Amino acid sequence: MRVLAARVVIVVALLVVWELAARAWNPLLAVPPSVVPPALIDLLMLRSYPDLPRHLLVTVREIAVAYALAVAAGLGCGFALGLYRTLGRVYAPILAALYAVPAVVWYPSLMLFFGLDSASKIAFGFLLGFFPITLAVLAGIRQVSGGLLTVARAFGAGPVTTFRLVMVPSMLFTLVGGLRAGLALTVIGVIVGEVLGSKAGVGALINHAYGLLRTTDYVALVLVTLALVVTSDALASVVERRARRWAE
Amino acid sequence: MTVPSSTLILVEDVSKRYLTSSGPVSALDDVSLRVDAGEFCTLIGPSGCGKSTLLGMIGGLVTPDRGRILIDDRPVSGPDPRRVAPVFQDAGLFPWRTTVENVEFGLELQGVSRERRRQVATELLGPLGLSAFAAKYPRELSGGMRQRVAIGRALALDTKILLMDEPFGALDEQTRVLMGEWLLDIWRRTRKTVIFVTHSLHEALALSTRVVVMTARPGRIKSILPLSLPYPREMESPELVTLRAKLWGEIREESLRAMGEQARTAS
Amino acid sequence: MPSPAWSSAGRGGGRNDGAARAQRRLVKRARIVGLQLVSILVALVAWEVAARGGWVDPLFVPAPSAVAAAFGRIGAAALRALGDTLVKAGIAYGIAVVLGVGAGLALGSARRLRDVLNPFVIGVYGIPKILVLPWIVLLLGFGAAPAIVYGTIQAFFPILLIVMGSVRDVDATLLTVARSYGARPWQLYWKVILPAIVPAVLAGMRLGIVFCLLGVLIVEMFAGVRGMGYVMGSLANGFRAAELFAVTGLVSAASIAIVLTLDVLNDRLAHWRG
Repeated sequence: MRVLAARVVIVVALLVVWELAARAWNPLLAVPPSVVPPALIDLLMLRSYPDLPRHLLVTVREIAVAYALAVAAGLGCGFALGLYRTLGRVYAPILAALYAVPAVVWYPSLMLFFGLDSASKIAFGFLLGFFPITLAVLAGIRQVSGGLLTVARAFGAGPVTTFRLVMVPSMLFTLVGGLRAGLALTVIGVIVGEVLGSKAGVGALINHAYGLLRTTDYVALVLVTLALVVTSDALASVVERRARRWAE
Repeated sequence: MTVPSSTLILVEDVSKRYLTSSGPVSALDDVSLRVDAGEFCTLIGPSGCGKSTLLGMIGGLVTPDRGRILIDDRPVSGPDPRRVAPVFQDAGLFPWRTTVENVEFGLELQGVSRERRRQVATELLGPLGLSAFAAKYPRELSGGMRQRVAIGRALALDTKILLMDEPFGALDEQTRVLMGEWLLDIWRRTRKTVIFVTHSLHEALALSTRVVVMTARPGRIKSILPLSLPYPREMESPELVTLRAKLWGEIREESLRAMGEQARTAS
Repeated sequence: MPSPAWSSAGRGGGRNDGAARAQRRLVKRARIVGLQLVSILVALVAWEVAARGGWVDPLFVPAPSAVAAAFGRIGAAALRALGDTLVKAGIAYGIAVVLGVGAGLALGSARRLRDVLNPFVIGVYGIPKILVLPWIVLLLGFGAAPAIVYGTIQAFFPILLIVMGSVRDVDATLLTVARSYGARPWQLYWKVILPAIVPAVLAGMRLGIVFCLLGVLIVEMFAGVRGMGYVMGSLANGFRAAELFAVTGLVSAASIAIVLTLDVLNDRLAHWRG
């Protein structure tokens, strides 16, 4: 209880200090909290950006496509590298090395290749989401207990059965964690791509508001985007819990 | 009440309760014990009988709810590295320190100079059988060797009292027996007072001058078995066989009680 | 008393097939590296053939030879831009490490503080930092400042979380041992907690450099006038594919080199971990 009270006090104090400081210094740039609710209402009532729904749809579509590709490629690569030992030993280090490169270095090339449309955002989101999924599959395979595999073999289970009854349940936890991280990164990738340059999507609107110094609309857009991010992660965690229950 | 002057440790009517998620649990209930200087006193009993708690109290890490503990007529109010040195079941070596650095840890905490503590630690490595491993890290040592380092760390403090909480519990049988022999040798040479917690009847009978049997929870002292047989003990001799049967009889009863309670709380 | 016979049987010493085993390991590694190099070579050759043969549009996918030539042309300018980026990233990194490790230590040790602030930390960490970037640029302009600030923000959180977690996860047995040997609170920190978290701090620092670079590059792409990000953005806008590929390769190589260096440093400093 005391902890909750402390948190509330912190939040309220921050809001008050922000309000006073912003008004004192530069309300346009510093955006005091009091201007946010009306701006948010303006946005949600489609007054400030009438085609917000269309842009939201664009972003959601880009995320969905990018994630589907990332999951397919991530699972495929992950299992290929994980189950075929030689393949894994040769190419996994290359993958790990690429992981050391900040993903955004690929984006200009993607923009050159795909233009400013959704395709470059989908490609970038795919790239970002692909790595954690692949790595999670590899990590999951690695931590399947050798003891369990031996038991399966001793009971005469073939490779497919072993995969289904031993490997998948053992690595489900790690795998789902990786899928969830992959979704979070895909979402970030798509949004980054949009903010850095696009014609449509919430990121483009944010860029637009920023360019015109419409700071209140900018904050409202950020909040809406945050809602999108939180929703996607919440969905992911629901699916995760469902999958966990199914596995047990 | 006059206390014999050879008494080093006096445990007076000590009780301890813990609050767990399933309600308060009495770990120790009115335990009293007197340990003389130079003894090898073993605490034995089923899991949950409070022997580790009692050891923790003597070592100053656990405070009794009731009663008190005196060492050298002084009440225990916290860890006292000048009088009491501990050894734990998990060797508890610092992985970033070499063997010799681990052994000198206690001395380092007390502010002993670098040359002096290095000298003390290095000299100890001989009897520990670890001279060749002075610069190795714990991950390069076997379980038995790590325990020897932990014991060396305790010996380096040169205290009167040595507390050992199932120090050989994580080792395999053969290593345990050999470590016991080695420990006995050290004890007889240094004349320390050792309080030793174990599950193993073999260890209790092979090493101790006194065996204190504790009851299942709540822990009380069930009986005390003095052993005045010469060392090294002939484990197959008729006296020891009889003693073992007697000891097992006492412990078995308590173990069954502890198992029954575990089954109850598990269901 | 002579030490027991079994005491000399330590780990790792005296096995007479150790040398043969080491050699087999070396051969295996050489084979793997060989396969990797061959794969890369084959990929490059296939790429060159595809570009020359017109199967891919050279406007979008230039041949490796063209990329190499482009690198020769703009190499000097590219290195200057890279240097500019690395300087900003370096400054951001220094700040992020100091703040991140400090806050991690504080939050990791003070349980009450952590309980109160934990949801805030996780909440702020979960916000895509890109969303605040336009605002930072509005406040700080187009120079080096927004890049440094944003790079710091990107690296700060992972470092904070890793250090905080590692302080919390210090083996309780080690703390009990130290306390039972009479360690006072400052000794617990100095002699147990700090040495114990070194591997985690190093891991956090290794992660942090990538995030710093990432942050600086993003800012340079979004609203920069100098640095690698800006150069890459301009090349992309100008459809100069060969130069862009060359520069991308340069940045990637630099990043990999930096991380590899940190990895080596990691191993050196935390070799006791095994």
